[in-house]
Amino acid sequence: MKSAFIAACLLTAASAQAADREFNEVVRVISDEFHTRPTSIPLFGLVNIFTAAVRPAGTRHIDLAVFEHLSDRDRQGRNLSEALLNAVGRSWKPFVQVRSRRNGHEETVLVYMRQQGSEWKLLVTAVERDEATVVQLLLNADALARWLASPERCARHWNGEMTE
Amino acid sequence: MKFAIPVLLGILPLAGQDIKMPANLDRLEAKASEVVNVQLDGALIQLASRFLSDKDPDEANVKRLVGGLKGIYVKSFEFDERDQYNKSDVEELRAQLRAPAWARIVGASSKKKGENSEVYLKTEGGQITGLAVIVTDPKELTIINIVGSIRPEDIRDLGGHMGIPKIDIGPDKKDKKDKDKEDDK
Repeated sequence: MKSAFIAACLLTAASAQAADREFNEVVRVISDEFHTRPTSIPLFGLVNIFTAAVRPAGTRHIDLAVFEHLSDRDRQGRNLSEALLNAVGRSWKPFVQVRSRRNGHEETVLVYMRQQGSEWKLLVTAVERDEATVVQLLLNADALARWLASPERCARHWNGEMTE
Repeated sequence: MKFAIPVLLGILPLAGQDIKMPANLDRLEAKASEVVNVQLDGALIQLASRFLSDKDPDEANVKRLVGGLKGIYVKSFEFDERDQYNKSDVEELRAQLRAPAWARIVGASSKKKGENSEVYLKTEGGQITGLAVIVTDPKELTIINIVGSIRPEDIRDLGGHMGIPKIDIGPDKKDKKDKDKEDDK
């Protein structure tokens, strides 16, 4: 039992990667704006053990921050859009942005990408009426190609999956 | 929670594009029910093309077409109500697509649907180096800029790939009155 626990810890350490500065910056911007913190996701580290081993849909690593119950009343009131843009910086390429305001439901998905060796990082920020999600994915080229082939559909599909 | 995201979409960097999005289009973003912005540079296009099959005739054709492309930039607005923008809103855009670099080669319109499509070609030293498409209808405005070597007739085959919407620009839709080749050269 003890050896299994040590093995799990080692696997966790092996799969652990610090999120990029820009991911943390985007999370900080949203946190500061709404005076809140991301929802804690128990055992999320285990997801990355699984992801590193199985690589679902070509994804090797995931960093995720979810904000729930956001409210206008808690807002600091600064220009969030500019703050997000500054947080992402120039080392990430803007890739696809979708802003939808249908049926009174506002939704914005911003996707940036950056190459890391033979792999690619996607930084996706999705903001809805009362929640926001920031995710950074480390993808192989095959997975990235799926995004490239149909970027708008992938952005919508991704946000739908994450916010369900 | 009303984010000031429309501003963000307007100020995103557009390096590499042949044409610049006029500032007056920012105003439309506030009215639009949906705004989509896609930006693919040459490296990403070539990466994406590596995964297109040579065996599938459709994918093989797309792979061939994107071989000479250096950038794909798409911006589209959808509106819930009709006539949320004026012709003058896209005039500043059209003003950039003038001779000698640019020539309007197709003007197709459907009076029934109220849809109007214009295709502009950019040439340098006798070589095609870019293409721009403006599609307007009462509830939509789409601007496409493709940088690189591409033939106008290929735009239809690229529709549905790499963020390029399907555009129906065909002989059946050309209105002789509007078909404009006078700008050609």
